[in-house]
Amino acid sequence: MSSDERAQTFYAHVMNGGKVEADDWIPDDYRAAVLKFVEMHANSELMGVLPERDWILRAPTLRRKLALTSKIQDEVGHAQLLYRVAEDLGKPREQMFADLLAGKTKFHNVFHYPTHSWGDVGIIAWLVDAAAIVSQQALRDSSYAPYARTMKKICWEESVHIMHGRDVVLTLMNGTPGQREMVQEALNRWWGPLMQMHGPPTNPATDRDLTWKIKTKGNEQLRQEFLSIYVPRIWELGLTVPDPELRHDQSTGRWHYTEPDWDELRSVVTGHGPMSQERLAFRRTNYDRTQWVRDAILGPAVAVA
Amino acid sequence: MIHSGNVRAPDLELATHYAREFYGRRQESNRLWIVPRQAITELDDPDLLKPPFDRSFKRPGGYLIKHKLEAAKARAQEEG
Repeated sequence: MSSDERAQTFYAHVMNGGKVEADDWIPDDYRAAVLKFVEMHANSELMGVLPERDWILRAPTLRRKLALTSKIQDEVGHAQLLYRVAEDLGKPREQMFADLLAGKTKFHNVFHYPTHSWGDVGIIAWLVDAAAIVSQQALRDSSYAPYARTMKKICWEESVHIMHGRDVVLTLMNGTPGQREMVQEALNRWWGPLMQMHGPPTNPATDRDLTWKIKTKGNEQLRQEFLSIYVPRIWELGLTVPDPELRHDQSTGRWHYTEPDWDELRSVVTGHGPMSQERLAFRRTNYDRTQWVRDAILGPAVAVA
Repeated sequence: MIHSGNVRAPDLELATHYAREFYGRRQESNRLWIVPRQAITELDDPDLLKPPFDRSFKRPGGYLIKHKLEAAKARAQEEG
């Protein structure tokens, strides 16, 4: 069988719901597409801890401090699981890390923004993680089986984070008028990035990730799912969503909303977000400071005295 | 035992620590097997594992007795 015929058979297999394992024969295009997808996901988990890390020392109670620390540890663990999946596709983690720090690869838009208050911590853990889990649930059926298996594990762990976030928000909403204002203010700032998070609608005919079932749902479908589940839960707390166009059309079942700012999304994910460079700089410093750990683990074995 | 995933480590001792960290931190495991990838021999040949023969005689579902049973009961009634 020629390489082309083999590729045709492979693509027919994945388009019909077939699964791929790490040591199967994989055509270059598919391999590159999965790698790019998983690498960006891994990068996002790693960079995603930085907005929340800022709040460990400022958490209002010991229990919140423990929960937030645990969440951050979970996210770094997710990054490590995903870098492992990506490595098996042929890119060493040292290269992925170097590309992230050099700004050559991307991470999700939401992690390029600052946090201003504890209200942000609740909104992020609740709604940003919720938007992420809507995508991640769909990835549990990815054609690339190692990724799909990892997503099942990650989704189980993310569900705890959402509960934590919702609990933080509810506690604030049941508090003082000042605390309620803090939540509303945070929601006002985070709504834009949240609406951009799933990306602009793509053309199914040209979206290879969708055709090859690397992802199994389109961006718009994910956004609609997010809105359907979470807008009612936002409204029932007496919060307002800062979009006057947001409404659910009963007859079509679709949510209408103001078109997200796709220019902002593009600018942010290419490193021009308010916190993009500061957070990458932190990662660079951290990488240098932890060189001794890598030297100790990866260096030649030393006899114990 | 189910396959959970894999870790990258320079030796078995660290692999064990990483495995516990990733697959045991939330008390989700009772036991973990940690094995170097090279030690695994995989058998996935469908001709060997799922050959396309009718071997239904090996399964309870390969025996459909409903009509035979009805006929035998009916005959026993007649004779009885």
